[in-house]
Amino acid sequence: MIEIKKTYKNYVGGKYVRSESGKTFTLSLKNDSYEVPLTSKKDIRDAVTSSKKGFQNWSQISPYTKTQILYRLSEMIEGNKDSYTELLISGGSTRNQAKKDIETAIKNIVWYAGLADKWEQVAGNLNPVNGEYFNISHQNPIGVVFSLNADNNSLASLLNSILQPLTVGCSVISFSEESSIIALKFAEDINNSDFPDGSLNILSGQFENVYEDISKHVEINLVSIYKEVPTEILTKIQENASNSVKRIIYMPSIDGISSVLPFLETKTVWHPKGT
Amino acid sequence: MVNWEYSESIESQDIVSIKDKYQNFVNGKFQQPNSKKYIDTISPSSEEFLSKIVISNEKDVDTAVQSAQMGFEKWENTTPHERSKYLFKLARLIQERSREFAVLESLDGGKPIKESRDFDLPQVAANFFYFAGWADKIDLSWGAKSLKPYGVVGQIIPWNFPLLMLAWKVAPALATGNTVVLKPAETTSLTALLFADLCEQAGIPDGVVNIITGDGTTGSLIVNHKDINKIAFTGSTQVGKLIQKSLAGRDVGLTLELGGKAANIVYEDAAIDQAVEGVVNGIFFNQGHVCCAGSRLLLQESIHDEFITKLEKRMQTLRVGNPLDKNTDIGAVNSKEQLNKIQELVNEGVSDGGKIFQTECELPGNGFWFKPTLFTDVQPSYSIAREEIFGPVLTTLTFRTPQEAIEIANNTEYGLSAGIWTEKGSKILWTADRLEAGVVWANTFNKFDPASPFGGYKESGFGREGGRHGLLSYLKAES
Amino acid sequence: MNNKTGVVSFNWEKTLELLKDSRIDSVGLNERVDSLANRSIKKESKLEALNMIVSMCDLTTLEGEDTEGKVSQMVAKAIIPNPNDLDIESVAAVCVYPSLVSVAKEKIGNSSVKVAAVSSYFPSGQVPMESKLLDTKYAIDSGADEIDIVINRKAFLEGDYRKVYDEILALKEVCGDVHLKTILEVGDLRTYENIRKASLISLAAGSDFIKTSTGKLSVGSSRQACYVMAKAVLDFKSLSGVSVGIKVAGGIRDAKDAIRYLVLIKEEMGNEWLTPDLFRFGASSLLDDVLKQIKKLKTGAYQASYYFPRG
Repeated sequence: MIEIKKTYKNYVGGKYVRSESGKTFTLSLKNDSYEVPLTSKKDIRDAVTSSKKGFQNWSQISPYTKTQILYRLSEMIEGNKDSYTELLISGGSTRNQAKKDIETAIKNIVWYAGLADKWEQVAGNLNPVNGEYFNISHQNPIGVVFSLNADNNSLASLLNSILQPLTVGCSVISFSEESSIIALKFAEDINNSDFPDGSLNILSGQFENVYEDISKHVEINLVSIYKEVPTEILTKIQENASNSVKRIIYMPSIDGISSVLPFLETKTVWHPKGT
Repeated sequence: MVNWEYSESIESQDIVSIKDKYQNFVNGKFQQPNSKKYIDTISPSSEEFLSKIVISNEKDVDTAVQSAQMGFEKWENTTPHERSKYLFKLARLIQERSREFAVLESLDGGKPIKESRDFDLPQVAANFFYFAGWADKIDLSWGAKSLKPYGVVGQIIPWNFPLLMLAWKVAPALATGNTVVLKPAETTSLTALLFADLCEQAGIPDGVVNIITGDGTTGSLIVNHKDINKIAFTGSTQVGKLIQKSLAGRDVGLTLELGGKAANIVYEDAAIDQAVEGVVNGIFFNQGHVCCAGSRLLLQESIHDEFITKLEKRMQTLRVGNPLDKNTDIGAVNSKEQLNKIQELVNEGVSDGGKIFQTECELPGNGFWFKPTLFTDVQPSYSIAREEIFGPVLTTLTFRTPQEAIEIANNTEYGLSAGIWTEKGSKILWTADRLEAGVVWANTFNKFDPASPFGGYKESGFGREGGRHGLLSYLKAES
Repeated sequence: MNNKTGVVSFNWEKTLELLKDSRIDSVGLNERVDSLANRSIKKESKLEALNMIVSMCDLTTLEGEDTEGKVSQMVAKAIIPNPNDLDIESVAAVCVYPSLVSVAKEKIGNSSVKVAAVSSYFPSGQVPMESKLLDTKYAIDSGADEIDIVINRKAFLEGDYRKVYDEILALKEVCGDVHLKTILEVGDLRTYENIRKASLISLAAGSDFIKTSTGKLSVGSSRQACYVMAKAVLDFKSLSGVSVGIKVAGGIRDAKDAIRYLVLIKEEMGNEWLTPDLFRFGASSLLDDVLKQIKKLKTGAYQASYYFPRG
């Protein structure tokens, strides 16, 4: 009997969309092959528009609510363990590796969910300045973050390129190449988790098609790259970024509190104390 | 003139099912206690019988502590990630059964359903969510690897926010790796016992959470038990001092959250209408049964008459009545005992020379009730200006300069909280710097959040609950 | 200075004094308004509230496409809101543009329903004073019982409070015995402090009512704005002895929201204000929802709009 095969699309602004170019590329997995969107420059532009709006909403949501939304994401993934396992296996993992990978992914989501209403207590502070002034440094999320997935057939490492900016309030555009299927499947669980539209957008494609555009796009505030890219490309990205003083981080730490610091801007406020 | 009155809008009790008699929750299940002494627990708004609870004796306390010790071994060997998930699970269960808990809380304790539904229960869930998120990242909190849990913690909680006080105690204790023996107040044990159900439902390992009922004698037995590693107490300053004394010479951790007589300072440049709201909220929320209640109104003399006129008018709209009526603002006083205490102090206030204003309202026939009360023309020496009344009674004192406000505010052995009302930012900061209080609210009052540390200076206790600082109440540095 | 209607107005110096005390904390205010929205109004108290709302409605049509036919239909509905339930009273007033006042007046006949007209170049008010006076005179000559004017927001936001005050004073003079409602247009004023100041200026200049909005902006009335205005009215009363009315208009779509306004007025101002003489709703779709709710309470079943005649 012929099966109904799933079509994977990009996930932008809370909706599933094809590339406006109409183009796709083929991903061959062990048991099957899929046509996935070949994201174009215009798709990037649309994703950024959506992410800007998503950032406005997501950054205003209370830390407590962020915790609950992130925790719900872990509930969704827990419920879909089987489908992720099958996908990871067809991507080349053993059943055991797949199982461990998903457990790690869930563990990390729970860790970051619980960080959403705490990181500010650890990263911000009152400064003991000289004089009758109240002086406090607190952190704000930087804005729209473009994130290049490590693409190693792993749900955990996909999440490790998303959770850090997301937890502190940035909106994220997550881009995958060879491991797009996992990412586009993950979009379904995002969709079920009460994230505001545009706070997390998922795209598939080939990085060489879009790196120029993303490094030049002024409204992308930060680009974080979790997979190895050739030096010439990285250099070009960094050069383009300098035009708008965009932040570029290459292979950032994914561990502990320092993993969220690059996605924050520190604001220090002074106020006199007197009658 | 039209006289539009609100009809009754009663929250149904059907959602709650109360047993005739309760056992203690020890080692993961409800068990027959050793003690044969039971007392009745009643609804303070109608005086009707609700259930019987046991007054646990020495054997019961010992069983509970032993269970907590065994629980500690299990809990120590549970990974931080797993502990986190248990607490998240409890948080979710609380959310699911919120309405049931809220109705039970109002029935057993007397507070309006509006408050138990909209304040107590959401805060309870939030506390479990918040501390669930610390369980797997304690090393992040103070960067000190040497911080370790105490072990078995004895927790004694009061009757004013029964389930919320349980959450403030249990959630951080578990998140930091401790196990607990908790004794709820004898007039409000039912929500704690229902919480025990949730522990079973969530599969919390046996012995990690132990809930035993009892009165002051039971509390004393817990405090004096040789295998208790730490005591966390919320209640009156008088009892707090007794506990502190009992622990002298023993290596037992202690945090105390005691009474208060908070000053709510209203400067002449305050936003007056909002200040009136804040003052009303400060003292009439939860019938004034709040340790951090703004029970002393410190009013700048230049705005005294205007403010008092508005305040009295606003007080008149407070609705006193059936706690299960959704439109009730002020519920029942928790017990006959407490009602008598309030009446006694109010009588003293009148005989000392204070001018009394009480709202006109019809009080129900049965139950324990007190009308919202305001005193003006009060001198700082009157007992109503110095002693904690713990009821819906506000005492007014005047000041002329900011410096004087500070002096009057700090002129008390208590130091739990304080309020500041002014539209001038620098004055808020100047005043906050000088107030001897663990929590300062500016242009607001009675705001709580699991992320915000709460606790007092001086005889209002020591140690903090909530926030990064609250974790330290349950961790000790390994020497 | 007292004018013919017994409404008091303050001179400019006294008005300026009033404006000094305009400190408002928006967070505290929002919390209070939200807590009032939590009141649970059921059964008899709900039916009473719904009936009160009907009697407080100013049924309104203010469109370029209004015709004599349209207004006639609306007047019929204003007089008998639900022909299948004659227990339901007439509304307080109909509110129309000046050119429709005479036909409204004719169709009203002997009914207690008043005819209110908007004027002063409603809704923007962006014309010279002469035009505003002309507009108003015309409406009064056509037979209007009540006049709804807009304050000069241009002058207000430029800081020229004197001009705002003088204009209202002049328009009140033209009105004479005719009842004057002054529209603040809270959507243009934005902050609570501005709303308070505009309220006080309008009160001091002799308005019979102050009104939240024209209904022509996307931001219409809000309970927060109503609260600010209520406080201003009470403060004015304690100085002048006069009770001025409040009208809320723009965006009040359903009975539930309208009931929340009544709760706010009752608890913040007292039962004295629960009368069409001192509180009004500017309404179009609100009335139908209220009629639906009344029928539901009386029959126990949810209703559809097609049971009720169009107005």
